[in-house]
Amino acid sequence: MNKRIVVVLSILAVVVGTPPVSPAGPKNDGRPDGGTLGYGEYGRPSTLDPITSNEMVSLRITELVFNGLVGIDEKQEIVPELAERWEASKDSRTYTFFLRKDVMWHPKEGEEAKPFTADDVVFTYKIMMHPKTTTPLKVRYEFIESVEKLSDYGVQFTLKRPILNALAKFSFKVIPKHGPSHPLYLTREDPFVRQPIGTGPFVVKTITTDREIVLVANENYFKGRSHINKFISKPFADQNIMTQALMFNAIDMVVLVNPRDIPELQGDKRFVLQPYNALSYAFFGYNLRSPLLADKRVRQAFTYAVNRQEVLDSFFNGQGTLVSGPFAPGSWAYNLDVRPLPFDPQKAVALLRQAGFAPGPDGTLQKDGKKLTLSLKVPIEKESEAVKRVVLAFQNYLKNIGVAVKVEFKEWQAWKESVFQEHDFDIIFASWVFDDSADISSLFHSAEIGAWKNNFGGYSNPEVDGLIVESKLTLDHEKRRTINRKLHAILAEEAPYTFLWTLTNYSGYHKKLRRVAIHPYKFFSFADEWFIPAADQK
Amino acid sequence: MTRYSQIAGEGRDASDLPVWRSADTLDLAYVGYGLLIVALVLVSYVLGVFNWLPHDPEQIRFDLLNAPPGSAGHLLGTDFLGRDILSRLIVAIQAYFLPGLVAIVISLVVGTTLGALAGYRGGGVEVLVTYFNNLVDSFPRLVLILLVIAAFKADIYYIMIIVGVTGVPVVASLVTGKIAFLRQKHFIEAAHVLGLPSHVIVLKHILWHHCAPLLVIRATIGMGEAILIETSLSYLGFGVQEPMPSWGNMVQAGANYFFQGKFWPSTAPALAILLTILGFHLLGDGLNSILEDRGGK
Repeated sequence: MNKRIVVVLSILAVVVGTPPVSPAGPKNDGRPDGGTLGYGEYGRPSTLDPITSNEMVSLRITELVFNGLVGIDEKQEIVPELAERWEASKDSRTYTFFLRKDVMWHPKEGEEAKPFTADDVVFTYKIMMHPKTTTPLKVRYEFIESVEKLSDYGVQFTLKRPILNALAKFSFKVIPKHGPSHPLYLTREDPFVRQPIGTGPFVVKTITTDREIVLVANENYFKGRSHINKFISKPFADQNIMTQALMFNAIDMVVLVNPRDIPELQGDKRFVLQPYNALSYAFFGYNLRSPLLADKRVRQAFTYAVNRQEVLDSFFNGQGTLVSGPFAPGSWAYNLDVRPLPFDPQKAVALLRQAGFAPGPDGTLQKDGKKLTLSLKVPIEKESEAVKRVVLAFQNYLKNIGVAVKVEFKEWQAWKESVFQEHDFDIIFASWVFDDSADISSLFHSAEIGAWKNNFGGYSNPEVDGLIVESKLTLDHEKRRTINRKLHAILAEEAPYTFLWTLTNYSGYHKKLRRVAIHPYKFFSFADEWFIPAADQK
Repeated sequence: MTRYSQIAGEGRDASDLPVWRSADTLDLAYVGYGLLIVALVLVSYVLGVFNWLPHDPEQIRFDLLNAPPGSAGHLLGTDFLGRDILSRLIVAIQAYFLPGLVAIVISLVVGTTLGALAGYRGGGVEVLVTYFNNLVDSFPRLVLILLVIAAFKADIYYIMIIVGVTGVPVVASLVTGKIAFLRQKHFIEAAHVLGLPSHVIVLKHILWHHCAPLLVIRATIGMGEAILIETSLSYLGFGVQEPMPSWGNMVQAGANYFFQGKFWPSTAPALAILLTILGFHLLGDGLNSILEDRGGK
């Protein structure tokens, strides 16, 4: 019954041209509508839907096009989005969501816009969990036992076990039942992944021959039409010229300014540099299958040998913080009592001596006639000069303590294969980006060793396994924090990685953009509130 | 008359003047400049081999990133890791010298053999060689190199082997053409009549006396090509890999800082490439006019 009313109303809306329910339409908050924002992106996303995509470039687009049941506001608090309210059962095993009734899907080409209902939520969950669906999300939602449609605007999730912060997990993006061409699963071949429709503030309009993605404001957005008319994602093959493109007004925003360009933008009054902290860190990861690296003293020695502060200061203008363990600083799980190891080459040499290494005839350390020569594999596509600098500096630091490192730049796909599939490497340089659940189980649990799993180094420690499981099961936040602090201390000591730093990310944009708030991870979460003063709209 | 002098004198010029006297001043200037570059390359190679350098080319200086020319004893400044640019320019010759020679030797040896076979034997052999040449020529060189890199690894020797192989058709057709031209002069027939064995005719009378200048010219141009190919590959990130310097990867790394007003890390190697390749080509060009044209005079 309800459904029918909404359909009628929406048809009326088209005919009469006025929004049926109050918020859909202009925001009426006194800020001007209009203008276009072109932003520079680090490449072209292969898919634009929230299920199959796994890159930051796509994530930023899906943030503009889709909504979750709940959202996360600027203060990192959970706020209603597609669900206007919710109830959790006393045993925290069932969550019932009551959906908004005024949400319309973006119209499909040549069709009427359809209303958003509980069917879409059930559909999204099922398609996400279908074995044939290509998605990195499955493991995140294995805690859900079932989902049930209560009414057109009511949906209930039953969990296998109560988990901490369950509500935050319901921020997954909902896709329409009438979207994908296959009713049961979604693959990267489905046309939907390139021409998606959502409920969000922006509608995917076209993808130009230059692979620019043009998004236009959704006139019927349930939180009120976004102020800016058009977002254009412009891919840059050469990342080095992105800041120049900004300075010559070819684009209005750069999502992540190259650290070396920061001083240049800082000195220019036309632009704003806005910091945002992503939950991420860079590291050198070791292959513990290698007999040379199996001894933790060797790995610790490498950490002592690298002057990480010097690298951070010289190459990144000091825009970041050193990291001591497996959690992102800024996350509640990070243990501030564990200090990053200091730069101490003598200590490094001493540790290597203890581990049985002695200088050979050519100065390179060796043990039982075997030289301490290691291969460091770096993906070539990420070969921005910042990466190159870090990698070569690392090689130089290790050379100073008598360790030979052979740097190998590999094509992206080949790199992934040798690291995650064949495990044919000694050291890699990479970084992890986390969401706020501070879940490191896929990185260090021994069950995650294997082809295409994240524990690429083959780290296995029963104590760590136990703590990880315990931290997942506990419902007491304080207890979980204590467990994670312990995990942090153990992994810092065991050094499966040389933990490096987390960088302060900066977005650079033209000062005509106002009220810019940036989500630390998803970036565009609040973009419907951004605006451009009428005089600057051109 | 000329015909007989060709047979009797075997390549000696009709006039008794030394080669350089009868040559054009401009050609001599070309050759002179080219030889200067060759000498510089050789000297740099020797300096690199014995490590007689102003600074350690791999010494990273965190306090001297992209320092301008002249600072702290760095004549050409430092690069993005504070390494001395001049030393790296000199050492970079190592990246080209032997691999470049490998490429040249491959293309000359294989190319001359095929060319001589095709030209001397003719018939079926010539058809086969022509097919081979067309086959090699029909692959874009850069694509072939990228394929090899993908299949094996980004190693300069692999790259130079491909450069050598793809250089074969040019040499082969040059030699074939030259032999076809020489055949008209009948001295090959005369040699046959005198009872000389085929290998002597081919090696001594055809290749040594008549094709040597041609091959020298190809070799000089080949060296220039080797450098240019490496530079293009470095721009794609597949050339000589850091920390080993090459002019190509120096330009590529330095270009990142060009817009920040730090032009020297990329300009110095770019100029080195320009002047060197110009040198090799002018040398080839000059030698061509001096040695080849003289035969026709």
